[in-house]
Amino acid sequence: MMTVETGRAAAVLPWVATVARLALGTVWVVAGVLKIGDPAASVRAVRAYQLLPEPVVQIVGAGLPAAELVLGVLLITGLGVRVGAVLSALLLAAFVVGIAAAWARGLRIDCGCFGSGGELGPGQEPSYGPELARDAGLLALAGLLTWWPRSRFAVDGWLLGTNAQERR
Amino acid sequence: MSNRRPKAGAGKMMAAQRGSEKRRSAALVGAAVAVLVVFAGAIGFGLYQAQREPASAAVPPGATEQGIPVGSPDAPVTLDSYIDFQCPACAAFEQRTGDTIGQLVDSGKVRVIYHPVAYLDRFSSTGYSSRSSAAAGCAAASDVFPEFEEQLFTVQPPEGGDGLPTERLIEIGRAAGSGDDFAECVRQGRYEGWSQRLTDAASRAGINATPTVLVNGEQLQDVSPAGLRAAVDAAAPR
Repeated sequence: MMTVETGRAAAVLPWVATVARLALGTVWVVAGVLKIGDPAASVRAVRAYQLLPEPVVQIVGAGLPAAELVLGVLLITGLGVRVGAVLSALLLAAFVVGIAAAWARGLRIDCGCFGSGGELGPGQEPSYGPELARDAGLLALAGLLTWWPRSRFAVDGWLLGTNAQERR
Repeated sequence: MSNRRPKAGAGKMMAAQRGSEKRRSAALVGAAVAVLVVFAGAIGFGLYQAQREPASAAVPPGATEQGIPVGSPDAPVTLDSYIDFQCPACAAFEQRTGDTIGQLVDSGKVRVIYHPVAYLDRFSSTGYSSRSSAAAGCAAASDVFPEFEEQLFTVQPPEGGDGLPTERLIEIGRAAGSGDDFAECVRQGRYEGWSQRLTDAASRAGINATPTVLVNGEQLQDVSPAGLRAAVDAAAPR
């Protein structure tokens, strides 16, 4: 019984990991592309959380779009998946902390997640709940990939000669 | 010694060696990936800094670092109006409450400081928020800002378009009665740096939406004409 289940898991997990990789990678690429053209807006979005000191606000705000973009490309191509997943998890955890802190303090901001300057539109209410739920889902994907980074169609597999079906 | 070792042991050793090599290259790839992500972020920050540097320090005559004051400096109530010429809610606010503000300014009760922030560059292909904000500086220098502001909101371009072309901005300024220097000022983007700084200042002051109106520093919740009058009356010392 055990062996059959393990065998089945070993067959399915690489495919699950592939989907997780592509989904998470796509989200990072989209988020990065939407921000990268207007770094000043990205800095304003980070500043709106009122969590970081000003010099750090500028580094994070201006650095984040390119980092997200590269992270997404690495995940989609499947290069260094485990490290990419760990970095994703750390970033997403930071976003969750930021959004939860904004919510708890009653700030009225847009999360700036996909490239706004953190400004709420007219009559727009903050939507912290859905934002947290989305980030929790992405965090789960990053966790899965940290635990099981081997997947199909990944540069890792070709580069390191690791078979996707091989156990860790 | 070693040649007497059984074959299975040698195979195991080789497998272990292969395994540790594999682990080493995996660690190497992992480290390279981490460096790459951090490096990308550093480049992004570098480009941001470089883009901020060369902006001119010029402040339009008739304006300050933070914005464009309109009305008597002795007015008992100060209104801070944070607006973006690309923001539809700002246009609606101007159309609905603009006349009331004009009357309050004319009566000497209120002084307005306009902060034409450039928050919404992503809603046009040409950075219209920034361009119109810098042009507002030119209008202030030409002493025609109130007319220019009203007109820009009347002909506000739709979100997601190209914004108004530079020549159209110049026409609007001319129609408002600007001098000859206005066209040159808009064309060379003389007050782009000023626009960036006042936008930055607004962001640092915690302004996260446009329009935001402060009445003696307190945020105005009801931006209707009646709401504004009530807030001004409440703020004015008797």
